[in-house]
Amino acid sequence: MTSLQEYFKTDWAAMTNSDWVGTILTVVTFILMVVVYTYVLRPKTWKRLEKHKHIPLDDERIDSGEKNDG
Amino acid sequence: MDAAAEQKYDFDVVRWFSVMAVVYLVVGASVGVYIASELAWPVLNFDIPYITFGRLRPLHTNAVIFAFGGCTLMATAFYSVQRTCGVRLWSNKLAWFTFWGWNLVIVAAVITLPLGLTQGKEYAELEWPIDLLIAVVWLSYFFNFVMTIAIRKSSHIYVSNWFFIAMMIMITYLHVVNSLAVPVGIMKSYSIFSGVQDAMIQWWYGHNAVGFYLTGGFLGIMYYFVPKQAGRPVYSYSLSVIHFWALTFGYVWLGAHHLQYTALPDWTGSLAAAVSLAMIIPSWGGAINGMMTLSGAWDKLRTDYVLRFMIMSLAFYAMSTFEGPVMSIKTVNALSHYTDWTVGHVHSGALGWVAMIAIGAIYHMMTRLFHTEMWSVKLINAHFWLATIGAVVYIIAMWVSGIMQGLMWKAYDDYGTLAYTFAESVEAMHPYYAMRAVGGAIFLTGAILMLINVIMTVLKSSSEGSLQQARTASVSA
Repeated sequence: MTSLQEYFKTDWAAMTNSDWVGTILTVVTFILMVVVYTYVLRPKTWKRLEKHKHIPLDDERIDSGEKNDG
Repeated sequence: MDAAAEQKYDFDVVRWFSVMAVVYLVVGASVGVYIASELAWPVLNFDIPYITFGRLRPLHTNAVIFAFGGCTLMATAFYSVQRTCGVRLWSNKLAWFTFWGWNLVIVAAVITLPLGLTQGKEYAELEWPIDLLIAVVWLSYFFNFVMTIAIRKSSHIYVSNWFFIAMMIMITYLHVVNSLAVPVGIMKSYSIFSGVQDAMIQWWYGHNAVGFYLTGGFLGIMYYFVPKQAGRPVYSYSLSVIHFWALTFGYVWLGAHHLQYTALPDWTGSLAAAVSLAMIIPSWGGAINGMMTLSGAWDKLRTDYVLRFMIMSLAFYAMSTFEGPVMSIKTVNALSHYTDWTVGHVHSGALGWVAMIAIGAIYHMMTRLFHTEMWSVKLINAHFWLATIGAVVYIIAMWVSGIMQGLMWKAYDDYGTLAYTFAESVEAMHPYYAMRAVGGAIFLTGAILMLINVIMTVLKSSSEGSLQQARTASVSA
């Protein structure tokens, strides 16, 4: 057995319910984070979001009573 | 334009929160320097129970976190939400209720903590009647903020407001659950949790207070004030969205990493450590996002001292959010836990990240709220260097003492006997405790300079009549 295999060796039979809950929640959280990363990094979404970056600098415009898109 | 903003928005309450934040920074840091000195030179206890380390330490943490940090968060949230939404506060009266209520909480803390009236829960020491007051005042802040967003003129809610809302939701939830107690007297109660459940609830609260109050809330400050001070939009808005969701998804899992090698089930600590490591990615993404806002305009750092505070805070943010996850790994935690390394880590976040971004934001607001330049730019520069050097001296002292403590406690001889007594490890810490007190005193000196500068700026504005002029001009505009 290589040292890597040794490192990842798991006694699945000894896993308790709590161990499974913890493992599943960790994996689900990881997947959800990957989903968010993928969604935001899509060029289309990225471009749409970047339009809002000027809001703090445009607050002078909002001050004047104009609405930014709304 | 300033006159128009003065007319359009409710800035009075923001002015008061801003000035009081600086007052509390000096008070909180002073108590911190005193208790650090007590650890180095215990004679400073003077055998007076009210000023012993055990009584003053919670006063220090409450003063810097809730008094300084709270007033800063309320000032900046009320300031930026109005400007990004293009409307005044939903209720100016409710904002004043928040101001007086929050200050009443602080006064109650100053009276009760030295008297030893405490629930004994870290960062949640205040007894149940004060806890109830905190809940009411916090909800008034939350409600006013959300309602201001509800009546906004802008179509999009800017990301800084997302961070503020996440903080408000989570702190409400955390404070209520962690403070659940059975009162047995006007100033005595017992937590409804006990044993390992109490520990788990406590650190679920404790770390999320760090995550959503001292990180999320102050990231809200960063995402509004860094672009404003730099005069440039944030480097990447999309990255800020990732930062927000990853932080919100991730932070709630981390509390158990404070309880490695305890009676808590092993998997909770492993889960917390795994998610802690995953949090490095969004945290560094956010720090880089803030710093890269200056991309193409780095020369501003040569002349803009306020911007220096903000960019330095991001450097400390990046450092702390790397150090924390590393310390959560069980192997490292076996050495670091219960040592001064943790204290050093907390202060690299508190002095380096939280205080510096707050200080930068307050300096930014001062000129706009009082319609005049700061009384002394040289004092801001001196403050920057004192804050930076003070924080670094403090952190280095605690790193060295913490690692030394851990190694001394773990050392044993061939017979399995501990090589050092606990008292020997305490004695070995003395030079580092003295160094820590010096670092804190340097930081405090900078804070005092800031308070002088702020007071003189307010007086300058008053003597010039600039605030009055802004109000009058706006009326005739």
